[in-house]
Amino acid sequence: MPLGPGRVGRVGVIGHPVAKTAVVAKAVTPGSAPVAKTAVVAAAVTPGRPGRRRRI
Amino acid sequence: MSETSLETTEGRVTSLDELGPVDYIVVEFPAGASNFTGEMAQELVRLVEAGTIRLIDVLILIKNVDGSVEAMELSEVEELGELQALEAQLAELLAEEDVAHLAAAMDPGSTAGVLIWENLWAAPFASAARRSGGQLIANGRIPIQAIIASIEADEAHENEGG
Repeated sequence: MPLGPGRVGRVGVIGHPVAKTAVVAKAVTPGSAPVAKTAVVAAAVTPGRPGRRRRI
Repeated sequence: MSETSLETTEGRVTSLDELGPVDYIVVEFPAGASNFTGEMAQELVRLVEAGTIRLIDVLILIKNVDGSVEAMELSEVEELGELQALEAQLAELLAEEDVAHLAAAMDPGSTAGVLIWENLWAAPFASAARRSGGQLIANGRIPIQAIIASIEADEAHENEGG
């Protein structure tokens, strides 16, 4: 089951291994960590090569 | 304003300033626990047809018991049913390296669907916020479990006090 050719050799958009969300039936206490600031990006917003038009 | 733009498969060019927030989910089906009746596809098509979301990418991942991962394009699924109409509009946003990153969340022996979509409903507001000088500095999703925990804590506090 090969991936589409357009997926090969490109820079990804996820960026890091994804952690599994807790699948729980009962309530859990949320963490108390302060909210981190999202990177405010001005130029190269797309994860691909800067300035390159991407087909989505 | 960014000059970078995105081109859809139909050739429509979208400025990043007009793009709504893009989200993804990984829905895992443990071995032997899947029950595909077409209901999920129906709801997805409804969201697209209502203009609530634009489906950008779909992948099906299979994590074998030895930890190896196989990825399947939606076009490889034999009976797409209602998804047939959406498949033609998809693009390959996810790259090969994303497959491993996404599969890291899966249990061995499971199958998962990965969906990437643009929140069309949020695009006009996000665009207006950018034109007004606003910058997105944080976003996220509050787990239902956290809301339940908060309400239960309130109720427990009231019971203790009352």
